[in-house]
Amino acid sequence: MNHSLRNNSIMIMCEQSGGRILPVTHELIFCASLIAGRYGSRITAVLPGNFAGADSISGADLLIINSPGLAEYTCEGWEKAALLAAEQIMPDLIIIAHTSTGYDYAPRVAAQLEGGCITSVAGIEFTPDGIRYRRSGFYGKLDLLYRAGKPPLVITVLPGAFPTDDQQAEPGTVSYIDAAIDPVLTSNLQFMIPDQSNTELEHAEVIIAAGKGIGKAENLQMIREMASFFNRSAIAGSRVACDNGWIEYNAQVGLTGKKVAPLLYVACGISGSMQHIAGMKDSKTVVSINRDPDAAIFRHSDICIVEELEKFIPEFIREAEKHRT
Amino acid sequence: MKILVCIKQVPDQESRPMVNQAKALAGYAENASYRINRYDEHAVEEALRIREMISPKTEVDIVALGPERVKSAIKRCIEMGADRGFHLYYDRDDYLSPSIKSRLIAEFCKKAEYDLILTGVMSEDMMSGQTGPMIAARLGFPSAASVMKLEINAEKQSIQVERELDSGHRCSMELMLPALITVQSGINRPRYPSLSNIMRAKNTEITEIRCTGNLPVFKYETVERISEAGSDRAGIRLEGTTDEKAAALWQLLHEKSLI
Repeated sequence: MNHSLRNNSIMIMCEQSGGRILPVTHELIFCASLIAGRYGSRITAVLPGNFAGADSISGADLLIINSPGLAEYTCEGWEKAALLAAEQIMPDLIIIAHTSTGYDYAPRVAAQLEGGCITSVAGIEFTPDGIRYRRSGFYGKLDLLYRAGKPPLVITVLPGAFPTDDQQAEPGTVSYIDAAIDPVLTSNLQFMIPDQSNTELEHAEVIIAAGKGIGKAENLQMIREMASFFNRSAIAGSRVACDNGWIEYNAQVGLTGKKVAPLLYVACGISGSMQHIAGMKDSKTVVSINRDPDAAIFRHSDICIVEELEKFIPEFIREAEKHRT
Repeated sequence: MKILVCIKQVPDQESRPMVNQAKALAGYAENASYRINRYDEHAVEEALRIREMISPKTEVDIVALGPERVKSAIKRCIEMGADRGFHLYYDRDDYLSPSIKSRLIAEFCKKAEYDLILTGVMSEDMMSGQTGPMIAARLGFPSAASVMKLEINAEKQSIQVERELDSGHRCSMELMLPALITVQSGINRPRYPSLSNIMRAKNTEITEIRCTGNLPVFKYETVERISEAGSDRAGIRLEGTTDEKAAALWQLLHEKSLI
């Protein structure tokens, strides 16, 4: 028995939308089942909400925390629901998805339970001495391996880090707690879906992406010119490029932006944080140009070019012009 | 209104952390350079912006935790326009759990009664995004993470924020004050220090508070090992002069029928 699994109980928080359990939940169950497979732990999936019933799910017992105040997500409501469930389940480990809801409330749950917290976990490893949790840090250049302190431990898991479970496992039990959770300090006002359509980017076979390294808006011209040599090409940007107003937000690639998978992705002056990688890692071929030989983006590239953009891109344009017929 | 901005000083992108024999984090090289975590710089800017919009009587305090060197980051915030700086002195460079950091900062906050606490959505080095929400939980404040827009409603004693959600969606919500907000980088453009504020910062003392006693580090998670991030692609490095590399790239892309 592992010292960090004293009650041998794992709790996961379902990711849901209007009572519908989202697929990322099954990635969390998969992660939990890796641990349960070793230590025989019990897995309980917690579903906060306000609804009459829910189907059982495979691979975990389902505990529904039911309250009118949980009809939609609030940080306050989800925190209280998680704490109430934890009281019942006595988990050693709480697994939450690293989504915009997950990273909003997960650290609060850890603080309230006086447990440790590890966010954006990308993998787990087993040692004779227990479980280790892997995540990326230092601008994506280094991998950090964590060990838990005293239980409980709260982790948030990156979407896509684990496969979805095969959903062949036996469905678990379903139980309810009727709670009176009413967020009093927070109220939702409006849900906004800004015009995010960018059909050019969605259909592009080649994407030339600009990052902080382009330095100034004027340098976008050479990025555009480079793109013009490729068929069905489009321009995109990293978070920094969008924050600086060089690229529109509807062309932001990354965890909070768009996910793209073109035949060719050219990253120009992008450092390669895990948030950016999450948006482009399925590209067929990745070329990176960066002056920092140590940039994390090179670890996710097929072709690496250590150069100043302002020198290299004009040179590439000259080269491409030579071949233009 | 009293606003606190929690900032962190981080090593710049080129300064690598050192590892000890056990491959654990062991601080930074002596020549490492440090700066304010960029997300926190946006939080400072947002605090100054609130002061300009609401009342010049709004107080903007800065707090940072760490060794002696973090005073320079606090000073920079005063140069930007913050009123006072507080340094929670902790002279170690190894891994310090956000659980502990948030305890120390929350303890500091309890004495001061802030209406609003702002901080960056995460630090650029550890990228955990935990310390802010944990401070809020320990103080019993509501919190919102990754905020792109905010506005104070003085009459209702509340704050309206717009949070960034997944795949470009956003939602707006209202939180009762006191509250804690973590800001995302798109929220504003941090100002450069003005000459008058640089002069004022020279004469502004930073209050040092020693974090002593036994911190219960054993209770929380630790970083056991640090290693180079793995590669998930071939990563062929093109060699030669700039024009040779440009020609090689064209050739490689041409062979793949991409150009």
